[in-house]
Amino acid sequence: MGFNKYYEVGKISLSNSFVYIIDFLAKSLFIGLIIFIFINLWKVVYGDSTSLIDGFTINMMVWYLVMTESIVTSQGPLLEEIGDEIRSGNIAQSLNKPYNFIVFKYAAGFGNTFLRFMLTFTIGAIITLIFVGGIEVQLAHLPLLLLTVLLALTINFLMIALLGIFTFWLEDARALHFIYQKFVFVLGGMLLPLELFPQWLGDFSRVLPFSYVAYHPAKLWVMFNWPDFVNVIMNQLFWIMIFIIAIALVYRICIEKISINGG
Amino acid sequence: MGLKEHLILFKEYMKITLASAMEYRFNFILQSITMILNDAIWIVFWWIFFTKFNVVNGWQLKELLMLYAVVTFSYGFSGFIFGNRHHVANIIAEGKLDFYLGLPKSELFHLLISKSSAFSFGDMIFGLILAIISFSIWQWPLFLLLVIISAIISISFAVIVGSLSFYWGNAEETAKTLNLGLISFAMYPLPIFKGFVRVLILTIIPAGFVGSIPVELLNNFNWQWLLLSILVAIVFFAIAIFVFKKGLKKYESGNLINVRV
Repeated sequence: MGFNKYYEVGKISLSNSFVYIIDFLAKSLFIGLIIFIFINLWKVVYGDSTSLIDGFTINMMVWYLVMTESIVTSQGPLLEEIGDEIRSGNIAQSLNKPYNFIVFKYAAGFGNTFLRFMLTFTIGAIITLIFVGGIEVQLAHLPLLLLTVLLALTINFLMIALLGIFTFWLEDARALHFIYQKFVFVLGGMLLPLELFPQWLGDFSRVLPFSYVAYHPAKLWVMFNWPDFVNVIMNQLFWIMIFIIAIALVYRICIEKISINGG
Repeated sequence: MGLKEHLILFKEYMKITLASAMEYRFNFILQSITMILNDAIWIVFWWIFFTKFNVVNGWQLKELLMLYAVVTFSYGFSGFIFGNRHHVANIIAEGKLDFYLGLPKSELFHLLISKSSAFSFGDMIFGLILAIISFSIWQWPLFLLLVIISAIISISFAVIVGSLSFYWGNAEETAKTLNLGLISFAMYPLPIFKGFVRVLILTIIPAGFVGSIPVELLNNFNWQWLLLSILVAIVFFAIAIFVFKKGLKKYESGNLINVRV
């Protein structure tokens, strides 16, 4: 008698974290499945040949996808969280704290986002190595590539956060999130590199912020060159600035609308 | 309990669904339009793809539009009418099954129809629009038959994987991943898959029968594949009922008290 209860508590807590890990893994495994489907698709398109499609070998094409998928799908349920806090009114409690709500969210979630990025990338990489093969990347470029990935994750965060704040007006901003995701999937070049688009659509998508989340960093990953790298970083910083300003403005308008009832 | 009582129950649930859609009109319309836009953006992706590559193993944009017509319509229809199909694992694991057990209707049927999703309604409308564009009037009877077969297979699959909760405790994530896997495979042309994967999606994960086989049948009808599709639907349906009934015997009620409002 006595210790049994502690054993049970331990078991429950262990199984809770186990469920959490399974949940974490399941999402990345699902992305692995999508990458697998695309490997099949690209193998049919490329046939047996070692030809290039718009400068991409099949290996480059698949590794490009591994990179875009890992970046785009790594953000946690940020929009739902912001939406919940706005709807439930909990956001009021963070207003009198000495920190900015959005920056707090960024800091609190970024570790998780990056971890998920690494996990998905690892699973994607294993699948790609088995079914397609490797790709040549210079070790010295890795820190630079990592930098564009971090900036891409940040732009993605900022765009979703901006949509999240719209919950003030829209009750449920999930619909917006859905559409946003699809814009990144297609116009952001997550599924296909913009080179494959009809010229006009490719040119159009290239200048939109979505492509700085997926296309540009992933293109550098498979075809690194310095001028492009500098260009991408500058543009990413530009978009980060634009979105910070936009969030600050929209957020201020929202705060003025808040009426706090009681305590 | 007879068929008639179930039809009456079904009718009552449809009334509730429509009433609640009307009550929250704005959200209902917003969610439907969201889904239509979502599906349309996927078509943009495939349009870009086929503009570049024209034909992939005999498939062109035309076949792909047919695939989307079949899958979105069948999937949307399932989600609108049998909206709980993807929540079976959760309902079992959290003991919410109690509610259905106390009532004199088939638990599984009642459970499945007691939820409806507006997103699914959007899917249904999108599928309908694509079908009107893609099919001639002579193809419609076959199209509708294949949609029913496709819906039976995907709903039965969802019940089977959801019922894993009877045996494993909470199988929510596993069920979710398998359901997503089924629909993901179904949304791509079958001819791109070869070997083991092709066998897999024509058997254990019957995604081929949910999407591509109906398209092939609408293009090039042949009796064998139609009969095979019907057989697969019957087999999955039977397994779903069997697994659910068997699981039900193992079911331990939770002590959660639910008030359904």
